[in-house]
Amino acid sequence: MSQNRNTLINKFVGNLSNSIVHKILERAIQDEILSNRYTKEIRNSFEIAKIYREKINPINSTLPLKDIQEIKDKISKKVKMELRSRISLGYKNIDLSLVETEINDVLEELKVI
Amino acid sequence: MEIIAKISRGTKMDQIYIPKQRAGFQNGRYVIIKPIEDEIKKPKQEKPIFYNIKSIEPIKIKLISEIFSIIEHETEEQFVDNLLIVGSFLEKGFYFNDIDILIIINKTEIKIDSIKKRIQEETGITPHIIQIKIEDLIKGVSSDPLYENMLSKYIAKKRLILKYKRKINYKILDLHLLKSKSLIDNFEILSGKEKYYLIKNMLAIDLFIKKEKISNEILNKQIKEIFKIEAERIKENLIANKQEFIKKCRNFYNNISKQIQKGIKKENESK
Repeated sequence: MSQNRNTLINKFVGNLSNSIVHKILERAIQDEILSNRYTKEIRNSFEIAKIYREKINPINSTLPLKDIQEIKDKISKKVKMELRSRISLGYKNIDLSLVETEINDVLEELKVI
Repeated sequence: MEIIAKISRGTKMDQIYIPKQRAGFQNGRYVIIKPIEDEIKKPKQEKPIFYNIKSIEPIKIKLISEIFSIIEHETEEQFVDNLLIVGSFLEKGFYFNDIDILIIINKTEIKIDSIKKRIQEETGITPHIIQIKIEDLIKGVSSDPLYENMLSKYIAKKRLILKYKRKINYKILDLHLLKSKSLIDNFEILSGKEKYYLIKNMLAIDLFIKKEKISNEILNKQIKEIFKIEAERIKENLIANKQEFIKKCRNFYNNISKQIQKGIKKENESK
């Protein structure tokens, strides 16, 4: 798969955003969901984001500051947009102030920062 | 081969006469002799319970019995209420990758590492085990479309009586649907089986909202109707018109997403 860097970054951002939204929503309705849901072992958004990260240079070190800022901004925008739409529907227990911490955690784990 | 014969008295040694015309028991072979009473006393092996299984290959039944006996051997009887085999292993043919096993536990969680290891070693099949309490299974099957699909067909150790009513919790469905977003965003990177699973997830949610029955057969039929492709082709990642297919997936996803959003709004208004 030969994709340009911008496409790869966008796919990376999309998957990480989805993964963070999923995590925060899961926390918001924790009492209502089953802890051991029957799922087949398919790759989730975070695992797919990992695949895209491995295609974005530099692979083994942190990304340039310009990229980091761009990625953080894009993820933050996407995640907050999704979560705000849920809040407007009546979701409770969604803490938007945690979004930045979540973003930093996953980016650190994927050697982006 | 078994022969029932009587021990008769001889002059120097006693003997057991068996017919000269027989299948098996060739001369010179060693055999075990034991009293017939021991055999009669042996507890009768319970027959597994088949739910919605029209036909299944005999070798699979043999494997399932073997798996049940491994689990029974590796666990303490009082902690396990029932064992269920679900999923693609029960489909016709031998296209399964693993075997889905549901262990219904009553109180404490059991250690499944040794069970997994033994099943893998003794049958050569990778087990996918989930242990669950009956109350959680009922909660799952009443609120989760994939649970309902899973239990649409099974082979159980004992009879399973599940009394439940479908409960639509739109927030849970919202969370489940989010998984299928990956299908639209990562079409190139996903395997055929992953695509099939994510499509099934969307379709099952749709049927669940419509209060319709869910089973693999129904979902595969829906795939053909809506996406104009055989489920097998998706599993094998042989999708001819990718752009058209992604478009259909996106439309379908957005459509269910809208229904879910409406549902959440209604749920909150009625509180």
